[in-house]
Amino acid sequence: MGNLFKLTYNEIFKIYIQKSTWAMYILLAILLIGLGILSNTMGDYTDYTEENWRTELQAENEKLTEEMEQDEFMQGYNSSVIAKNNYYLENDIQPVGYGAWQFVMENQLFLSIVSLFTIVVAGGIIANEFRWGTIKLLLIRPISRSKILLSKFIAVLLFALVTLVFVIVLSFIIGALFFGIEGLNPSIVIEGANGLEYVSVLGQVASGYGFKLINLVMMATFAFMISSIFRNSALAIGLAVFLMMAGSSIVSFFADKEWAKYILFANTDLSQYANGAEPWIEGMSLSFSVTMLIIYFIVFVVAAWSVFTKRDVAGN
Amino acid sequence: MSEAAMKIINLKKSIGKKEIIKGLDFEIHKGEVFGFIGPNGAGKTTTIRMMVGLMKITDGDVHILGKSIKQDYKEAIKEVGAIVENPEMYPFMTGMQNLKHFARMIPGVTMENIKEVVSLVNLEKAIHDKVGKYSLGMRQRLGIAQALLHHPSVLILDEPTNGLDPAGIREIRHYVRRLATEKNVAVIISSHLLSEVELMCDRIGIIKNGELIAIQSVNDNEQMEPEAITVQLEVRPANKAIELLKTNHQIDATLTRGLVTLQIGREQIPNIIKTFVEHDVSVYQVEIPKSTLEDKFFDVIGESVNG
Ligand SMILES: Nc1ncnc2c1ncn2[C@@H]1O[C@H](COP(=O)(O)OP(=O)(O)OP(=O)(O)O)[C@@H](O)[C@H]1O
Ligand SMILES: [Mg+2]
Repeated sequence: MGNLFKLTYNEIFKIYIQKSTWAMYILLAILLIGLGILSNTMGDYTDYTEENWRTELQAENEKLTEEMEQDEFMQGYNSSVIAKNNYYLENDIQPVGYGAWQFVMENQLFLSIVSLFTIVVAGGIIANEFRWGTIKLLLIRPISRSKILLSKFIAVLLFALVTLVFVIVLSFIIGALFFGIEGLNPSIVIEGANGLEYVSVLGQVASGYGFKLINLVMMATFAFMISSIFRNSALAIGLAVFLMMAGSSIVSFFADKEWAKYILFANTDLSQYANGAEPWIEGMSLSFSVTMLIIYFIVFVVAAWSVFTKRDVAGN
Repeated sequence: MSEAAMKIINLKKSIGKKEIIKGLDFEIHKGEVFGFIGPNGAGKTTTIRMMVGLMKITDGDVHILGKSIKQDYKEAIKEVGAIVENPEMYPFMTGMQNLKHFARMIPGVTMENIKEVVSLVNLEKAIHDKVGKYSLGMRQRLGIAQALLHHPSVLILDEPTNGLDPAGIREIRHYVRRLATEKNVAVIISSHLLSEVELMCDRIGIIKNGELIAIQSVNDNEQMEPEAITVQLEVRPANKAIELLKTNHQIDATLTRGLVTLQIGREQIPNIIKTFVEHDVSVYQVEIPKSTLEDKFFDVIGESVNG
């Protein structure tokens, strides 16, 4: 298996030696730092102490109510904050201030960007070898085509993982610098499926990022398949990004159809089953969605594999 | 007769209904440089793609050191180094990074092997530059280096002289001859220009429309026709020379483009020169145009270029 390790090393090397990859990380860093600065200047974050947190929360509520009366647009947001504040007061829980963990939690939106970048890498990893002509030198080695394909797929997943870790670690560092760290394992009140809940931030980070990773892996595998079948990175990236963006619209467009639940995007968000919530479409369940995801994944991988291993490598 | 390094057995390729390669049969021996010559579209690249497993073989087989590329791909391909069509490498990586990349794909290639091939193709100076900045000749050399990393028994070069200047071609010829003579490597060189590879080949196979229409040993050529070769002489005065040839040697010579041209046996040349010297005719140059193989090639190829 040292063989596969070296192949994967090669693929990772080729990804990270390209300037376009570095541009992705620089862009992510700029966005995260920008967001940190923005949050720092926009919001006022109070540190709650043992003695003053009750008065602080009450003062906050009064201010929010006042604001709400003047500005109708703030109604939704402000009333939810007030509700949370009341939850703390009623249950006599001292709230934690804003900090790095919550910054990390909120930045799970960045997973869309991580997905986008992973799609770009996955869409190019086979097609580019054809475009550069290097595929010929890759395939005339004492290594099976399956193994070469596997090493490329592993490299895509590793890229996604590294980028994910980059977002989380950098978010934490930026959060810590701007807002401080709110403890080892802080808990906050959030609006869950069954109303307000007092939950661990770390748990939220894990589940929030985790659920979104499913979609990331599925779309990366899809781009990988298109890259293998059509040997065209623009097509692979374009199609995968389009589907990623349009996925939920596609599902709601066909929602009344019998077969809507078989659409990939109806199943990629497993958080719909969390906390016993009702699924989007009747008749769906966690096991149904997991089965669908596995079937789609296998179809993508087998399609990519059968084309890559069987087809003649001729001039373009 | 030396051992066969590569055996092509009734090799065929069809794409769709079109038969592109129509049953090739030939062998390449160890230490031999084999020229695979044919016009554009003859099927050289297609044949080479099948030899290295990039294309499926429709029928027939290719054996490398007795191992079938169809049945025993990994063992067979271990013995092959190749450039197929253009010497394409990763342009955003240095020459060294490219070589290390491909070295990782073959078991047992050491840093010593890499240094050895780099120095063989004289790329020491540029090896840490990005390949994107390389000239075509440098990329061709890097391509050869890449093909030699694992000391293959068979080296396949598809149009290695394409786009190179005469100095570049001479350099390739130099490496190829050295590999064949010193390392006993069997080299297959494809080209659509006989003249570019003739000097480095031991044997030439001519392919046209997917068929091998002639195999010819390059050196045999002279031995086959010993008694009447064309000789061109640059002598002054030319008229006196023609007269002397007629009177002293009973040879009819003609004057073409200032050169005295005649058909004689090779062994007669010293006598003729002796005559000229004795009669105060100055000899500037004696030339034997090596045209026979080239002529043969064009006889064969000429028609196919049009149809
Ligand atoms: N994928 C393909 N589908 C159909 N025909 C093909 C395909 N690839 C090659 N051919 C045909 O096969 C023939 C041989 O092509 P090949 O590239 O092997 O020629 P070649 O001898 O290498 O020519 P050149 O000197 O131009 O490199 C050509 O007539 C070409 O049109
Ligand atoms: Mg060709």
